[in-house]
Amino acid sequence: MQQHLYKRLFFCCAVAFFIVLPFLTSTHSLATEMLIFAIFALGYDIVFGYTGLLSFGHAIFFGIGAYATGIVLVRLVPSLFLALAIGMGLSLLVSYVVAFLSIRKKGIYFVMITFAFCQMFYFIGFKWTGLTGGDSGFHGVPRTSLGPIDLNSDITLYFFILAVFFASVAVAFRIVNSPFGRVLKALKENEDRARSVGYNTKAFKTVAFMISAFFASLAGGLYAVHSNFVPMDTLSINTSADVVIMALLGGIGTLYGPIMGAMLIVFLKNLLSNWIGNWPLILGAIFIVSVLSVRQGIFPVIFGKLKEKLCMQR
Amino acid sequence: MRKMFVALGVFFLMTAAASGADPVRVGFISVLSGPQAPNGQSELNATRMAVEDAGVVLGQKVELYSKDHQYNPGLANERAKELYEKDKTDVIVGCSNSAAALAVSDQAARHQRIFMSTSAGTTDLIGKNKYTFKLNYNDYMLAATLGRWGAKNLGKRWYTITSDYAWGHDLLKHFTNALKAEGGQHVGNDMVPFNTSDYSPYILKAAQAKPDVLVLLSVGKDAANCTKAAAEYGLKKNVTIMHALLFELDIKGTGIETFAGDYTAAPWNSAVNQPGTKEWADRYYKAYGDRPTFMAAAVYSATRQYLDAVKRAGSKETDKVIKALEGSTYRDFFVSPGYIRPEDHLEVAKAYLLRVKQPGQLKEKEDYFEVVGELPADRAQPPVGLFKTLK
Amino acid sequence: MRPGVATTGPERVIMGVQFIGAQLFNGLMLGSFYVLLSLGLSIIFGMLGVVNFAHGTLYMLGAYAAYTVCYICSQNFWLALIIAPLAVGIIGMIAEWTLIKRLYSVPHFYNLLLTFGLMLFVEEGIRVIFTPIGQPFDTPPALAGSVDLGFMFFPKYRIFVILVTAGCALAVWLFLARTKIGAIIRAGTDDSEMVSALGIDISKIFTLVFGIGAALAGLAGVLAAPVQNVTPEMGNNILNETFVVVIIGGMGSIPGSILGGLIIGELITLGVVFWPPVANTLVFVFMAIILLVRPRGFFGRAKFFE
Repeated sequence: MQQHLYKRLFFCCAVAFFIVLPFLTSTHSLATEMLIFAIFALGYDIVFGYTGLLSFGHAIFFGIGAYATGIVLVRLVPSLFLALAIGMGLSLLVSYVVAFLSIRKKGIYFVMITFAFCQMFYFIGFKWTGLTGGDSGFHGVPRTSLGPIDLNSDITLYFFILAVFFASVAVAFRIVNSPFGRVLKALKENEDRARSVGYNTKAFKTVAFMISAFFASLAGGLYAVHSNFVPMDTLSINTSADVVIMALLGGIGTLYGPIMGAMLIVFLKNLLSNWIGNWPLILGAIFIVSVLSVRQGIFPVIFGKLKEKLCMQR
Repeated sequence: MRKMFVALGVFFLMTAAASGADPVRVGFISVLSGPQAPNGQSELNATRMAVEDAGVVLGQKVELYSKDHQYNPGLANERAKELYEKDKTDVIVGCSNSAAALAVSDQAARHQRIFMSTSAGTTDLIGKNKYTFKLNYNDYMLAATLGRWGAKNLGKRWYTITSDYAWGHDLLKHFTNALKAEGGQHVGNDMVPFNTSDYSPYILKAAQAKPDVLVLLSVGKDAANCTKAAAEYGLKKNVTIMHALLFELDIKGTGIETFAGDYTAAPWNSAVNQPGTKEWADRYYKAYGDRPTFMAAAVYSATRQYLDAVKRAGSKETDKVIKALEGSTYRDFFVSPGYIRPEDHLEVAKAYLLRVKQPGQLKEKEDYFEVVGELPADRAQPPVGLFKTLK
Repeated sequence: MRPGVATTGPERVIMGVQFIGAQLFNGLMLGSFYVLLSLGLSIIFGMLGVVNFAHGTLYMLGAYAAYTVCYICSQNFWLALIIAPLAVGIIGMIAEWTLIKRLYSVPHFYNLLLTFGLMLFVEEGIRVIFTPIGQPFDTPPALAGSVDLGFMFFPKYRIFVILVTAGCALAVWLFLARTKIGAIIRAGTDDSEMVSALGIDISKIFTLVFGIGAALAGLAGVLAAPVQNVTPEMGNNILNETFVVVIIGGMGSIPGSILGGLIIGELITLGVVFWPPVANTLVFVFMAIILLVRPRGFFGRAKFFE
C-alpha cells in the first residue's frame, strides 16, 4: 500500500516539476530542448537498454526527422502534423533498411556499421545542398499554428511539446511492459536461449530498432520547429554519441533514467558552456566516469539509495 | 488645478528619466572555444575596447554580454535567443560561421532587434532582412578582389583548389565570374574535402596544368597544409599563391616560411595606410599582446558604428537606429569611408591586396603582411541587386 | 582533369606516366600512415577486444610529443623520432593499466565508450595546454628537398616515411612471429583464457600490446608532423579512415592491416586524381561493400563477427 502511495506522490511531483520547469530555466527554450532530447533518449533506451543494441547511428533518424519536417513545412504544406508524420514515416523506412543491413552483425560489428552509416548520411546531407542547405543548414522553418493555438510563443510551444512528451512516455511504458517488451528483455539477457525457444530474434531486434528510430525522428521534427532551423549537426556522430551518454548516464533499461539523463546533459551543456569554454572536456570526463563507475546510471543509484532510506524508516 | 499639472509634469519627467535609465546593451556571439577560439577571442577583445571607447551613450554606460557558440550553428541559434530575450540586448555583433550568422539573422528578425554581422562571409546575409547589416568582408568581395586585381597584376592562367563546402562553393562561383570579366583563364579546379591532411595529389594536378596563379579557396589548416605541400613539391618557384582568407594566426601557427610571398585580400590590415590604423593596432597590441586581425578591427568598427547611430537617433529603438544606419557614411580607421546601402544594408568600402613578407623582412612582432594594392569599393563590392534587396 | 591535357604525341604519354607515377607514390606515403595506425588498432582489437576510439588521439599525442622534444632539444628530429613513440607507448600502457583493464569483464562496448570519452577529454586537454591554434613543425633539414630522378621529383621526406613504415611493419611482424612474447601474443589473440591457464600473466601482456599499438600510433604522429602540422584535431579524420582500413583488412590481422592501409592510401589518392568529387566516399562505399559481403575483411577471423 505504501509503495502505491509513494508511486502516486512521485508521479504528481514529476508532473508538477514539468509544469514549472520552463519558469525555472534561464529561457523557456532551454526547457523545450530538454524535453526534445528526453523524447530522443527515451526511444533510444528501448533499443539500447531493453534490447542491448548499441547503435552509434541514431543521429540519422533525428536528422531525418528534423530535415523532413523542416522541408515539408517550408516547401510543401505548412501543417505541423503532416510534416512530423512524413518525417517519422521516412525514418521508419530508413531504419528498416539500416536494421536489415546491420542487425545480422554481432556485437562490436553492429556498433561499427551503425557508425559508418551515420557518417554516410552526414555526408549525403552535406553534399545534397539543394535539399538540405548543406553545411549552412536549413533555415526558415516556421512554427505553424495548431488550430487556434499559436506556437510562436516559446512557452506555448513548451506546453505543446510537453503534451507530446507525456504521450511518448505513456507509449514507451506500454511497449516495454507488454509481451513484446518481455521478449526484448529476454533476448538482451541471452539471445541464443530466446532463439532456441522459438523467437525470431532478428525480427524483434529490427522492430525495437525501428521503434527507437520513430521516437528519434519525432524528437528531430520537434527540434526543427523549436529552433526554426536545422543545422548539419543533427546528423553528426556527436549527436549519436550524445544520446548514448544521456541514456548511459541516466541509467539504461529504466526509461526514466535516459529521460533524466538527457535533461541533465542538455541543462549542464547550456550552463557550463556559458561559463567554461571546454564542454568536450567535461563531456569526456562524464563518459569516462560513468562507464567506469556508474554503469547502471546515476539515477537508479540515487533512487535505490532513497528507497533504502525510506524502507529503513518503516 | 495647478498642483495637478505640476504633479503630472513631475510624473512625466520621472518616467522620462526612468526610461533613460535603460542602458544600451550590446550582445556578442562568436567562437570562444575549440580550434577557432583565438579568432573569436580577439573579436571579443575588440568589442570590449569599442564599448569602453564609446563611453556614455544615452546617458548610461553601455553593457556588453558575450556568448560562445563553439562554431556550432545550433548553439548560436540558442545563444542569440538568450541574448535577445534573457539579456535583452538591443543588438548582436560578430558571429563567425555562415550557418550560425544566418540563424542569428533569423532570430534578429523574430525579436525585431539589430544584427551587425561582421564575421561570416556568406552573401546570403546581404539584404536578408531589414534587421541585418552586413559589414566587413563577404565572399563576393574576397573573390572579386582576388580575381580582378590578380588577373591584372599576377597573370592570366589560374588554378583553384576549393574547400568542398558551402563557403568554398560560394567563393568559387564569384571568383570564376570575376576572373572571366577580366579575361583570365580558369585552367582547372579541385574540390577538396574538409580537413584533408595530404594535399600532394592536388598539388601535382595543379602543377600539371601550369597555371600562373594558384588560388586557395580555403581557410585555416586546410590552407596551411595545401601551401606546405606546394612548397614541398617546388610549386612555389613558378606559381604565385593567393589565399581567400589568411590571418596572422594561421601564419603564426604554421610558420612564415610556408606562406612567404603569398597574396591575400582583406578589407583592412594593421599595415594599411588609413588614418588611425597604426594607433589602434598598437593600442590593441599593447592591451592584448597580439596583432589584431581585420576581423577584430571590423567588430570594433561595427560596434562603434552602432553606438554612434544610437546617439544620432537619440534612442535605441530598433526602427530609429535602422533609419540612422541606412544611407550613413562612417569614417574610422577601419573603413574610410564605409557607406551602408539602404537597399540591402551592405556596408561598402574598399579592399586591399596584401602580401606575406619574407622571413627576413619582419620589423615588429607578427608584422607579417605588406600592402601591395587596393581596389575601390565599386569594383570590390557587389552591385545593388546582385543579391537580395530589401525594397 | 586528366593528365597531360596540353600536349600531344609521345610527350603526352611520358607526362601521363610521370604524373600517375608521382600520384601512386603519394598514395604510398598516405598508405604508410594508414599502415602504422591500423597495425596498432588491429593488434589492440585482436588481443584485447577493444575498439580504440582514442587511437587518433594517440597519433596526435605523438605529434605533440615530437613538437615538445624539438622545442626543448633545439629541433632534434631524430631524438623526437625515438622519444615520442616511446612516450606515447608509455601513456598507452598507463591508460590500459588504470582504466581500460577494469572493463574486460563487462560487455565490450563499455571499453569502446571509455576510449570515446578519453578521445574527447584528451583532445580538449591538449587544446587547453597547448592553445588551440596548433604548432608549426618543419621538415628536418637533412630530409628536406627532393630527389631528382630525371623524370620526376620525389620529396626526400616522403621516401623516408615509406622506408620507416616498411621497417616498422617488418619489425612488428618479426617480433610476433619469431619471439617468445610474440608467440604468447599470437596465442592470446586466439584464446586468452587458455594462455592464462597455462600460467602466463596475460594481463601484463595485454598492457604491453596496448603500449605497442599506442607507440605505433605515436610514431605515425611524429612522421605526420612535418607534413600535416600539429593540431589538436589532427587525429579525428584519420581515425575514420583507419577504421575502414582495419575493417577491410580484417580486425586483428597484421597482413590485413598492411594490405588494407596501402589499398586505402592508393584508393584515396587515385580517387582524387580521376574522380575528385567522390574520392572520400569511395572509401566508405568500399567499406560498406566489405561489411556486407565479407565482414571479416581479407584476413580477419570469422569468429569475431559472424
